Amino acid sequence: MTDTTIATAPPEAPLPSPVRWMRDNLFSSVSNTVQTIAFTTVLLGLLRWVLGLVFADESNWVSVATNMRLLFTYNYPAEQFVRIWFAAGALFVAVGASFAAWNINPSITLRRIGVSLMGTGGITLVVALITPSATPSNLRTAMWVLGAALVVIAALVLRVVPEPHRRRVPFLALLIGASAIVCAIMWFVPFGDYGFSDGEPTAADGIVASSTRVPWTVLFIIMIATYVAGRGLAQVVSLAPLRRAMIAWWVIGPAFILFMVLRDPEFDWAHIWSTDLPMAAGFALGGGALIYVLAAPGRSDLARVVGAIVAAAAVFNWVAAFFGWYPMLQKARFSFALAAITILLVPNFAGERSARLRVAAVWAGFMVVFHWLLTGINTASTLDITAPPFLGGFVLTVSIAYYVMLASFPLGVLLSLARTSKLPIFRVLSTTYIEVVRGVPLITVLFFFSIMLPLFLPSGMGISDLAAVFAGYTVFSAAYMAENIRGGLQSVRRGQYEAADALGLTTVQRTSLIVLPQALRVSIPNLVGQAIATFKETSLIAIVGGFDLLRIANSTIPNQPDFLGQKRPALLFISLVYFVVAYTMSRASRNLETRLQAGQAR
Amino acid sequence: MSIADNALTDEMASRDDMIVCRGVKKWFGDFQALRGVDVTVKDREVMVVLGPSGSGKSTLIRCINRLEVHQEGDIIVDGVELTNDLRNIEKIRSEVGMVFQQFNLFPHLTVLDNVTLAPIWVRKKPKAEAEGKAMELLERVGIPEQAAKFPGQLSGGQQQRVAIARSLAMEPRIMLFDEPTSALDPEMISEVLDVMKDLARGGMTMMVVTHEMGFAREVADRLVFMESGDVVEVGTPEHFFTNPREERTKLFLSQIL
Repeated sequence: MTDTTIATAPPEAPLPSPVRWMRDNLFSSVSNTVQTIAFTTVLLGLLRWVLGLVFADESNWVSVATNMRLLFTYNYPAEQFVRIWFAAGALFVAVGASFAAWNINPSITLRRIGVSLMGTGGITLVVALITPSATPSNLRTAMWVLGAALVVIAALVLRVVPEPHRRRVPFLALLIGASAIVCAIMWFVPFGDYGFSDGEPTAADGIVASSTRVPWTVLFIIMIATYVAGRGLAQVVSLAPLRRAMIAWWVIGPAFILFMVLRDPEFDWAHIWSTDLPMAAGFALGGGALIYVLAAPGRSDLARVVGAIVAAAAVFNWVAAFFGWYPMLQKARFSFALAAITILLVPNFAGERSARLRVAAVWAGFMVVFHWLLTGINTASTLDITAPPFLGGFVLTVSIAYYVMLASFPLGVLLSLARTSKLPIFRVLSTTYIEVVRGVPLITVLFFFSIMLPLFLPSGMGISDLAAVFAGYTVFSAAYMAENIRGGLQSVRRGQYEAADALGLTTVQRTSLIVLPQALRVSIPNLVGQAIATFKETSLIAIVGGFDLLRIANSTIPNQPDFLGQKRPALLFISLVYFVVAYTMSRASRNLETRLQAGQAR
Repeated sequence: MSIADNALTDEMASRDDMIVCRGVKKWFGDFQALRGVDVTVKDREVMVVLGPSGSGKSTLIRCINRLEVHQEGDIIVDGVELTNDLRNIEKIRSEVGMVFQQFNLFPHLTVLDNVTLAPIWVRKKPKAEAEGKAMELLERVGIPEQAAKFPGQLSGGQQQRVAIARSLAMEPRIMLFDEPTSALDPEMISEVLDVMKDLARGGMTMMVVTHEMGFAREVADRLVFMESGDVVEVGTPEHFFTNPREERTKLFLSQIL
């Protein structure tokens, strides 16, 4: 893929003078003038009110500054904190490499930068002007200085540089510039250093703690380096394998981070080596070998017999679990059930050696990932140990949102395909599922999974809070995902199905190569909308026991002896965090749509 | 299908009959689109199907690769009878190429990927080999320079030529054309017809639904005239354009010529 697939923006016309612009857009007629004045007044009033909330005497931002670590990572042990940084580093590397792999390099004209600076500077000056008297005077001075500086820089960019609308700032420069600004703020602005020491809040003047600013700086440098390296690599090798690797990373990487990096600090490695790994290997290799043997041509009857026996054993395992006859790890019971289903399906895969090997390998790979995920989500280590929460705050919010989206996507695709299927049994089942789940509030589903489900589970079995929330939320989200994708499926024209059929593609090939790619493309705006909703609604897990951003801001911080009852700053702060993430997603989806449209202009 | 039917099939279909339709009937709800059609296309023969709109000619050729399912009668393609057996259908579809009125290219794939998709996934060809063959075919239909573009960036005539290349990539024994030039602007019709003529000269067995009388006169070995789901008349172009037997054929030709 070359740069030619990215549509170039039409040339921008020179900017009119500010006076001219205001006359044209704000005061062009009597009614326009009246509206401008009225809405400006309302806006300024609102701004004044928000500033009042932010800088009122009773807003003590020390509570937020002191609890920053709690808000982002909850009670993650400070001595293990390097793991958080490692996980963040892995993500930043992935972001940089993905930018390079997909050739994402939106350049911006100098003029747009100038206009943005001018806007930011102007707003800062207005804020400085109307901010209430409770605002610390040094902060107000800083606002005046910053606003004036931004306006001056913007004026220089717009008026002194010749033809700013023709000069494009390359993406790399933007990336470096933005990172440099963030780092400069951390290294030079005297926010003060707040934290807890032996349960007592501590406060010191000066810049933020080095344990914060150094890792962040390193992260930004790593991201830029990865991007540059990736771009360099793309000059030498083909992009396709790089993209495949990145997709694989985005699917499996987060599981890796959760399981290997962020895992419970009390993690029982001995248990992993003695039980989890051998079990996963046993199911993967044993099951794979069995499938390979049974899938030989002419062994269909044998496969059915063996499948029936394994199915009987799997059912017996569940009955035994219910009556408590013998202990067994829950994931072993799940694996037996999956093995039974797979072996019963084996006659359909019967074929040549390479085909059998492929099926066996798919099974083995699936088992490894399946055990890995179950273990990762259910720290510590297995389903029948219910661990105390070790993840919390922003990390929990992001993890739940990411995993729910990742897991509900394939489920949603399957449900939407089933719902549009010709086979009535699939259609009825899928429609029932979707309608039932959509008719129930999310909080009910979460309560069912976290409180009701454990009551129905036999003694000795449990499901960790995290797994319960994850399962419940996935079940819920998949139904909505299915409806969004169904809209896309319906937009694929009949001729596409006919063309695929006429070429001799099988139904599976037709669906995966022709129909779904087109349907998903159409669904992107809706899917991103749902992703944003999913991210924000993770705040409901606060109600069923998770310590997410909302729970910490709303009940943990206000219950600390030093910050009793101080809710407002923390709530304002997490609103800002939610907004920044949601807005980033929304912008990213808009860019994605533009790129896809540019790729296949109709 | 019973054994007796198969015996009948073997007896009546001679070796060089590529497509045999016998007593094919097809209903859409209460509407009968085909009322017992008997048509035979021989190997390397170009058969043009004529008829007013609604006469069932598109339905007929869509039945031949089972995009529509006929309810009565037999259709035998290259010795294989069309039944509900999925394997038969997939085998026939991979040997019968089809070109649609609306092109039906895959808009999310480049021209090259459109052409290589089926050879790679259905014929299991290695990618490099499939791409080499695809470039050859694009050369043959005259647009190798468009290989990296998406269908939406091409003109209608170019798109239809890609669609033909896409069908040819499967190395079909039979090509079906369902009004391939009806959706094209007039100035683009000839570029598509030229490709089809070239194909016919190469000895491809073709069944073409079209209103292009010039093409029919020049290329067709035989013509079929259909009306209201019936075959009215079958004959050589010479017979049709000089001395048609049936009144309905005369009327149709006088309207269209």
